[in-house]
Amino acid sequence: MKIRALALRKRLASLCCASFAVLVCAASSPSFAASAIAPSLFTVSSSSTRAVALESVSMLAEPFSLTSEGNFSPADPRTRITVFCTNLDFLSGEPASALTADAQDAAGTIYPLKVEYVGTVPNFDGIYMVVVRLNDLMSANLGDVLVRLNLHGIASNRARVAIGQIGGGPADDSAPNPAPATPPGAATQLTLAQYQAQYNAPAFASDNDLKRFLEQSSWGQRGDDSDFNHLRAIGIPAYINEQFNTAPQFVDSSTDPKFALSSDYPFSPSYPQFYPGAPAPACDANCTRDFYTLYPLQKQFMLNALTQPDQLRQRVGFTFHKFIVVGGQQLNNNQPFWFAPYLQTIDRNSFGNFRQMLFEVSLNPGMGEYLNMRGNSVISLVNPTPNENYAREIMQLFSIGVDTLNQDGTPLLDAQGNRVPTYDQTSITNLARVFTGWDLDANKISPVDGTSTSANYQDPMVPNVNRNRYDTNQKTLLIDIRSPNPVVIPACGSPCTTGTSAQMLAADQAYATTSLNSAIDNLFFHPNTGPYVCIQMIHQLVTSNPSPAYVGRCAAAFANNGSGVRGDMKAVITTILLDPEARGDVKTDPNYGHLREPVLLMTHLLRAFNATDASKTDGVLVSNSPSNFSNNLGQNVFNPPTVFSYFPADFNLPGTNLFAPEFGILDTSSSYARANFMNTLFVANSGNGIPVSGTNRPQGTQISFASFQALSTTPQQLVDALNARLMHGTMSTQMNASIVAAVTAITNANATTQALQRTQTAIYLVASSSQYQVER
Amino acid sequence: MTKTRRQFLRDTACGLTAAAMVNSLDRLSIVNAMVQQQPEVASDYKALVCVFLSGGSDCNNMVVPVDAEYASYNTVRGPSGLAIPQSALLPINPASGRQFGLHPNLSPEVATPAQAAGLLGPWNQGKLAILANYGSLLRPTTKAQYQSNVGGAFRPYQLFSHSDQVNQQMSSIVNTTGQTGWGGRVADNTGSLNGVTILPMSLSVAGGNLFETGASTRQIAIGTGSLASVLSLSWNGPASANPFTNGSGFRQLLGFDRGQTLIRGASDTTNTALSADLILNQPDPTITATFPGTGLGNQLKQVAKLIKIKDTLGMKRQIFFCSLGGFDTHTNETATDPTQPNNAGAQGNLLTQFSQAARAFYDEMGAQGNSNSVTLFTISDFGRTFQPSGTGATAVGSDHAWGSHAFIMGGAVLGGTLYGAYPTLALNSPDDDGGNRGRWVPTTSIDQYGATLAAWYGLPANLLTTVFPNLSKFPTQNLGFLG
Repeated sequence: MKIRALALRKRLASLCCASFAVLVCAASSPSFAASAIAPSLFTVSSSSTRAVALESVSMLAEPFSLTSEGNFSPADPRTRITVFCTNLDFLSGEPASALTADAQDAAGTIYPLKVEYVGTVPNFDGIYMVVVRLNDLMSANLGDVLVRLNLHGIASNRARVAIGQIGGGPADDSAPNPAPATPPGAATQLTLAQYQAQYNAPAFASDNDLKRFLEQSSWGQRGDDSDFNHLRAIGIPAYINEQFNTAPQFVDSSTDPKFALSSDYPFSPSYPQFYPGAPAPACDANCTRDFYTLYPLQKQFMLNALTQPDQLRQRVGFTFHKFIVVGGQQLNNNQPFWFAPYLQTIDRNSFGNFRQMLFEVSLNPGMGEYLNMRGNSVISLVNPTPNENYAREIMQLFSIGVDTLNQDGTPLLDAQGNRVPTYDQTSITNLARVFTGWDLDANKISPVDGTSTSANYQDPMVPNVNRNRYDTNQKTLLIDIRSPNPVVIPACGSPCTTGTSAQMLAADQAYATTSLNSAIDNLFFHPNTGPYVCIQMIHQLVTSNPSPAYVGRCAAAFANNGSGVRGDMKAVITTILLDPEARGDVKTDPNYGHLREPVLLMTHLLRAFNATDASKTDGVLVSNSPSNFSNNLGQNVFNPPTVFSYFPADFNLPGTNLFAPEFGILDTSSSYARANFMNTLFVANSGNGIPVSGTNRPQGTQISFASFQALSTTPQQLVDALNARLMHGTMSTQMNASIVAAVTAITNANATTQALQRTQTAIYLVASSSQYQVER
Repeated sequence: MTKTRRQFLRDTACGLTAAAMVNSLDRLSIVNAMVQQQPEVASDYKALVCVFLSGGSDCNNMVVPVDAEYASYNTVRGPSGLAIPQSALLPINPASGRQFGLHPNLSPEVATPAQAAGLLGPWNQGKLAILANYGSLLRPTTKAQYQSNVGGAFRPYQLFSHSDQVNQQMSSIVNTTGQTGWGGRVADNTGSLNGVTILPMSLSVAGGNLFETGASTRQIAIGTGSLASVLSLSWNGPASANPFTNGSGFRQLLGFDRGQTLIRGASDTTNTALSADLILNQPDPTITATFPGTGLGNQLKQVAKLIKIKDTLGMKRQIFFCSLGGFDTHTNETATDPTQPNNAGAQGNLLTQFSQAARAFYDEMGAQGNSNSVTLFTISDFGRTFQPSGTGATAVGSDHAWGSHAFIMGGAVLGGTLYGAYPTLALNSPDDDGGNRGRWVPTTSIDQYGATLAAWYGLPANLLTTVFPNLSKFPTQNLGFLG
């Protein structure tokens, strides 16, 4: 019904709009621009800001009522309106879901408008009609609203549309009628591959585009610009490939045949769960710190972020950590030997295949401990039902999510408009029965006393020797893309029930391994997995509210890397970073971007102000001792409060229906803590950064902003330099002028003091501003 | 460290007009107060204190029948070691009939006299009530209706999932993902009881939360340190650039670029902090009760301090949020001797913390003379499976389930009794959802629970069904546990 209605609308609108388009086009004087093309909404004349808008079926002009009879959708009579625009820089074949639209009323409330159809006006190439559905929360006599379209993160001009009555509404924007950047006419639409290929020429990307790329793919551009200059020389695709091939610091497969180390976290000695008493030497304060707290790993995390070249692996790895979570607290109260192999597993697979990631994480003993797959059993009579923890969370959080998704990441809706659960309790019960029988491998030798007393949290878990732990009955799993029927793992049957006990044990163990592989394949081949993983990655690397079209392009790369391989993370990452919605020098879509989470906020500033080699920092900024800066900001690294991570992936910005995951840990307290961190880093210690403090902060973290101080006699130059350095040139003129005024007002008879104070204040104001803290 | 706020307040003590203060308030809440019919400014004080037991506390071990049904309980939970021995349970004799026992660590002083007291005292005084088997419900629902789910009318969205069930406990929106909490919506509709205040009605000592997020009102979140330090903007630069000063560059930037949604969101949060900072910078009042130095103890102590200076803050109605995490006990839920205050397994240890903190709060409210004005209540993700989950005999725990029990405590509580209907503790009992693991279909809804609290708080009767969307489907809209 709905499809037919839309088709009809399209046809009717096509018939009637030509005359409007002619009028409007005549009023515009086309001109060319070199930079990103902004969509341009047509207004009724060059001196008016009223949109050319029609009720999409009746073709009546404004004011529009909220519902319209006979709109061919009896179940959804909400009014649809058609607006007209040009400069839509679509990729070839790009769906309507690439466009978003919104309307703002007089009170400032912003209403998202669902874009239902986009098409070209017949005989007018390059002129588009866009059908949007009025928001359910709009009231009948709202008056004028300002309507805007966004494509690839670029906003159009805003034009007035009357709801209920003409008049009122917000003031017009300052430049409401931009001239179209391209003349109406047949536009050449690039395929995604052609779009990406443009970047093979290093000169294609603007400097600000490259800076944005480094914000998305690293822990921040270095203050010495060495990364930026290299990127500019070789171009983004070559840089990504180079990053894929940059080995992590610690690569060694000789230490343990079962555990190939390829990670930014070093091999962690197998200290026992409880440090032995006499006669072994006591575990002193440093021993406790280094082997029974996360201090060494947290410190390593920050050192890696600030100083190591494999930045992309680290950003991707941290993203995996945020949705495939293990928290240190539950691993013998933050014992590194229990936790490090989890980080190493993530590092090893960040640029690999997602299937392998899911498999290795499932057998990681830290994960086994955290979500109770280790030791999970059906010890008959006592505990007949396996623990459901891992079964539930591997589906809900690590692979497919709770709602059935379309390939563009939007939830599939049933006939009543409700979301459709991906699985039910029965699926969980069945999957939990697969995850039985696994436990730790043989103990490791303790370096403390040489005995085999260290529970093995290093090697992958193995099928246990206790036969009564295994559930060998049939399990029914989910439907995946390989078949219309659910995956069924048959019962083990006679191999597990006949022969010697050694033979039966061998059969149980083989069955457990086969079953585990079947279950991992089932999740890997589930249609949700691609869009689900893509959404997590895009949220953390680029923007909290990607268009469905963007998610769809990523999911397509997950489904097939171009060589028929599913789950290739290199293809996924490349597609995310070389998407038109990620690229470009400036994004004007009001909903674009994401709040910098605490560690990203910290590292971006530290790298920008030259704390980028190991002689400048000990990395002690996120560890528990002596002072955990990121914890004050709401993010205790490697100790997220629950398996739902540091902040909920689906957190909504209060008062909106926009995703804003990082706002889950932004509250009145932490917003002050963020500003106070800026004071600590840039102001409190005379601009020298974080001072040394005892043995736990042996070196401190030095920053330098001398080059900015040199500009401080001309505050405008200082602020412009900070704008370029920290905000890739996006600072608004208002903000710029305000900071210039604040800095100019600082005077001191001592020129050195004045230069320092002006620079500190300018950096503080930029770094503590919402405009900077939201990466766009 | 520069004493930013004191300086500011001293410098501007008289210059700061009421208008300036109002300007810095959450604009939306004022607008909201103007457009809706709301009650007059209250003459009395009332506060709701939500204690969120995060992770899904195992209700089946919090309140246990000690009549003939104990045997049924022990049959399912005994062999794996998950049952609390009958001898360890603390007998209570609810006025509602039947004999029950509380988890021993809900009053750890009984088994271990040196321990700080828990909740038996308030229970015996009739000031602690138990609400049995409440949870997310679209409408009154039987086991058969849940199973057939005709027309999709009986199954709340994503039962048994942490994130979704936390959302439903906090929002009472159970058919989809709620974007406002019921505490926040109560605040949206009762702001006028406070008149114009500097502090928002909703305050969290456990970070941002959905419960207190309204359609128009926002919460403030503070830590548990001294009131003078909880919101303190540090500045070591030149005094003329002090960010806290009115008109500072820092403040100006918050007013720019508000067309960008996420930027506006971040700026709104900082603005809320700056407003609250104006008035929270108070000396800590004297607290008589001894609060345990635990996470929840510190949170409830902070709430008690704020209540004690409610007149200074100008508050007539407040909604507080506290949280205690770690209840997701799939394993290691209990120990051989569950009476040990801090060695009773994960749930037992947490119940020690909860009961001692809540008791100190109860005593402090009494000492302040605020008992009748303050009601503390618990919510949790969900209950847990009656049948244990299978991880080794010594590491036993339980899985995610549905209906749960709640505690409500305060001078206005008609306590010493159970409200709601206690489920029949047997696998596949009439209360079991049919999965045969003992997931109880709730017999009371979160809407009914919340509405009873909200009605006492002062939400007008005609707005109850607006704030609690499914309330009208239930015959009883007030459960009667508050006088």
